[in-house]
Amino acid sequence: MAQVVLKNVTKSFGAVEVIKGINLHINDGEFCVFVGPSGCGKSTLLRMISGLEDTTSGTIDIDGRDVTGEEPSKRGIAMVFQSYALYPHLSVRDNIGFGLSLAKLPKAQIKAKVEEAAEKLQLTHLLDRKPKALSGGQRQRVAIGRSIVRDPKVFLFDEPLSNLDAALRSQMRMELTDLHAELGATMIYVTHDQVEAMTMADKIVVLNAGRIEQVGSPMELYDHPASPFVAGFIGSPKMNLYDGEIARRMGCSTYGIRPEHIALGTEGPWGGTVKHIERLGADTIVHMDSPEVGQLVARIAGDRPVRIGDMFRAAPMTGKEHRF
Amino acid sequence: MTRRQFWTGIVALAVSTVLFIIPFVFIAIIAVKDKREASRMGFDWPDSWHFWSNLVEVVEARNYMLLLAYFNSTVITVGAVTVLVVLGAMVGYVLQRRDSKWNSLIWAGVMSGLMIPPAVVPTIWVLQELHLFKTIHGMILIHVAYGLSFAILLFRSFISTIPRDLDEAAIIDGAKPLQIFFRVVLPLLRPVTVTVIVVQSIAIFNDFTNALYYLPGRENVTVQLTLFNFQSQFTSQMNLLFMNILLITIPPLIVYMFFNRQIVAGMTAGAVKG
Ligand SMILES: Nc1ncnc2c1ncn2[C@@H]1O[C@H](COP(=O)(O)OP(=O)(O)O)[C@@H](O)[C@H]1O
Ligand SMILES: [Mg+2]
Repeated sequence: MAQVVLKNVTKSFGAVEVIKGINLHINDGEFCVFVGPSGCGKSTLLRMISGLEDTTSGTIDIDGRDVTGEEPSKRGIAMVFQSYALYPHLSVRDNIGFGLSLAKLPKAQIKAKVEEAAEKLQLTHLLDRKPKALSGGQRQRVAIGRSIVRDPKVFLFDEPLSNLDAALRSQMRMELTDLHAELGATMIYVTHDQVEAMTMADKIVVLNAGRIEQVGSPMELYDHPASPFVAGFIGSPKMNLYDGEIARRMGCSTYGIRPEHIALGTEGPWGGTVKHIERLGADTIVHMDSPEVGQLVARIAGDRPVRIGDMFRAAPMTGKEHRF
Repeated sequence: MTRRQFWTGIVALAVSTVLFIIPFVFIAIIAVKDKREASRMGFDWPDSWHFWSNLVEVVEARNYMLLLAYFNSTVITVGAVTVLVVLGAMVGYVLQRRDSKWNSLIWAGVMSGLMIPPAVVPTIWVLQELHLFKTIHGMILIHVAYGLSFAILLFRSFISTIPRDLDEAAIIDGAKPLQIFFRVVLPLLRPVTVTVIVVQSIAIFNDFTNALYYLPGRENVTVQLTLFNFQSQFTSQMNLLFMNILLITIPPLIVYMFFNRQIVAGMTAGAVKG
């Protein structure tokens, strides 16, 4: 197993600098998630680690070895694509074994390895089908199987779940987490979905416009966001963020408070009228208009009665406020 | 089936009967007549049947020339189509996948191959210089040169429907460029390959003028040129000529009937299904 170290890595497409100097240390066996808005350079960074994209400057080490100029297949990595990228003309068995047959392994050994991987992913009964006869989740498993048989030091995933429906996605999240626990391999996972990042990661790397905003465990980022960008990106519903005059009154340039850290009642510094209600069952998300701060979102218990037009006073919980 | 579809079907059948079936029946009728009756070129039922004797006479004519012609035409067709498919697919693949500053220049060359008509006499000079004139492999190269632009065009546009992810997955699996091409891309090109094979092999097998210009010589005869055997300034043996036509029309017809389904399937299917 292996650690991945990026030093001053940059990437330009022509005159456009897409990755602007990344320094990052991913530990052995860690599940590391790159998260950020669309177009911030997550895929590009992952493809640079895989070797599909070359680096403009800086170095990439995998397992203590500088692989910056190395071919993808020599780096000890495996990659799962968003589109799965299964070979349509090959059966599941041949898809999984493709890399091994290129490496000219003996047939019996390929068969054993493919069947072991298929066992692990509950694909045994599908081995002789073609990809087009599989469901989305099964295709995803085949793509993962194809990466497992290569025994890579590092697994790379580029938004592997974004083509699946919500129920399947949460199931696959758990399966991937289990797989990580079972294999103990280093995994790097790209997503734009902060829920995936929060639920799966050991370490989250928040990227914004080609730079790292913050690195930390999910709860570190949730409790101590280093910038308004991270504060707004991590957590759902989004943190209430205020700048300008409102923040200046609080003694900072940006003031933030999470919806779950606002107490609604008869007391508090801010008034508010309920404009819109989202009932999630256990919780209710209340969107309010406030004369003091403008828009305000709060999370309250699901069993508490609330109606559009209700008036509340809102109080931020002390110690839960964020000042930037 | 609606009324409208029914009548369109009837009209289509009628038109294709006039255009294709009637001439073919005419050929077949003349081919079984005897010499005297055939020379009247009438569209009437033969008085006496000479199918077998005409057939034997055509095959044996001029020391079994027709068999030699079949052999030559087959070698030319198979050779040229094989090279066309392999080259067309490879060039199309590189042009579609690799960004290079030469691409627009190469593409302009491919396009001019489609647009600029070939000049016969200079081509013969070049062939003579290269010692390819009057040779079968020279003829194969001529057909490759004439057909390559169209093949590249077809392959390139088809390859653009194959996701790049597949190439990249293969790279990560450790495939070298040639392995990516032969083990991942080429198998997916099957529909467009069938189209190229059928269209080009029929065109090349039926080619008359190019063989006439570039491949003179008794030992180099191709099937279309055997028609000269029975047609001269003074005597024409119409029954044998039409039997000959019948015989050399059959192979392309078989190819077409055999691949018909696959052509249609290939035209309606994308490279990567669902
Ligand atoms: N091959 C390329 N050529 C030019 N620009 C590119 C290329 N690939 C990506 N980009 C640009 O790089 C930026 C980051 O892309 P990407 O890494 O795919 O973002 P993400 O995966 O975070 O959505 C985008 O602005 C995109 O337009
Ligand atoms: Mg992306």
